[in-house]
Amino acid sequence: MQQNERYRQYLHEIRQCFAELAITPNRSTVLKMTDDQELMTAIQAGNARAYESVVKRHLKSISHYAFRMLGNTKDTEDITQETFLRLWTHADTWRSEKASVSTWLHRIAHNLCIDYLRKDKSAITSEYLDEHEGHESPTEQPDKEERLISLREALAQLPERQRSAIVLNHYHGFSNREIAQIMNISVDALESILARARRGLKAELLTTIKNGSS
Amino acid sequence: MTISSERFAAIVEAYGTEPARWPTEERTAAMVHCATHPEAQALVAEFQALDEMLNQFQVADLSVLQRNVLNQAARTSAGNVFDHLLDWLLPHSERLMAWLWRPALVACLPLVCGVLLADYFSFGIDGVQNSREEELYLLSLNDYTETFE
Repeated sequence: MQQNERYRQYLHEIRQCFAELAITPNRSTVLKMTDDQELMTAIQAGNARAYESVVKRHLKSISHYAFRMLGNTKDTEDITQETFLRLWTHADTWRSEKASVSTWLHRIAHNLCIDYLRKDKSAITSEYLDEHEGHESPTEQPDKEERLISLREALAQLPERQRSAIVLNHYHGFSNREIAQIMNISVDALESILARARRGLKAELLTTIKNGSS
Repeated sequence: MTISSERFAAIVEAYGTEPARWPTEERTAAMVHCATHPEAQALVAEFQALDEMLNQFQVADLSVLQRNVLNQAARTSAGNVFDHLLDWLLPHSERLMAWLWRPALVACLPLVCGVLLADYFSFGIDGVQNSREEELYLLSLNDYTETFE
């Protein structure tokens, strides 16, 4: 009887922990966590196959994030390579209880992008628009293309932290807690940054559209 | 659980109009609020255009870049001959034997160095022929006076 009560108490505590972490304790999450842990332990032991497996798994997301932050392929490649080099050299600093591998890698990429943007801010905005490719040619849908260019310009004009928050929230599907972890800020601060970013984008786009129509 | 109109507005302004991007713990309440409040629906409609534009912003083809990064990763993890030697001598492992191997290797190192040094310098003896001559020379210098007496 007493054991049952204790068991119930444990279950309650586990549920509370998961609620706090906003993680559903389903089978796939548990498997993923184990998988992450195993792969990272193997990388720490110098296992090249495990390393390549993690690189393959996160390459698309990291490169897309860096590209949306930096806007050109050369710097994107440098940042992506540096991120994965750190996975190899700093794997022992990853802690499973603190963050998933994806969150940890995005945090590295975020820090590298922010450092890069702060060092060479002037070069970025001019390069940002050069290599973005739309899916429609300007002759097919000129209005839509113009709007996309305006959006890219507006994104390029955003302060780097606002741009990062929007990219992580809108394109990468991270939860608010994960983004806050990646950016090393509180959830409240993240909401404030996101709201400012969206308001800024909206205002910038409205001005562009009005200027375009007048 | 319910949320206020202010909180709903804050959620939409921060996370956009797609419920999948809203905070997990408030998602259901926010969806209920949106379904039951016309002003909430108006707010969603106001921000929807921005979300739709953001959705259209696709990344360029990065397959070449991704291939380069993969090649670089393969080179990084492959390491060089020295790395392999080091890994062989000092294996990364949690096994007890691997941990015993390290102090044993350290203890053997002076011995190995001594053998190598001795082999290299040979302590003045270069070869068989040279050593015979050396022996005769040393014999000639012997004091035989005691023997003759």
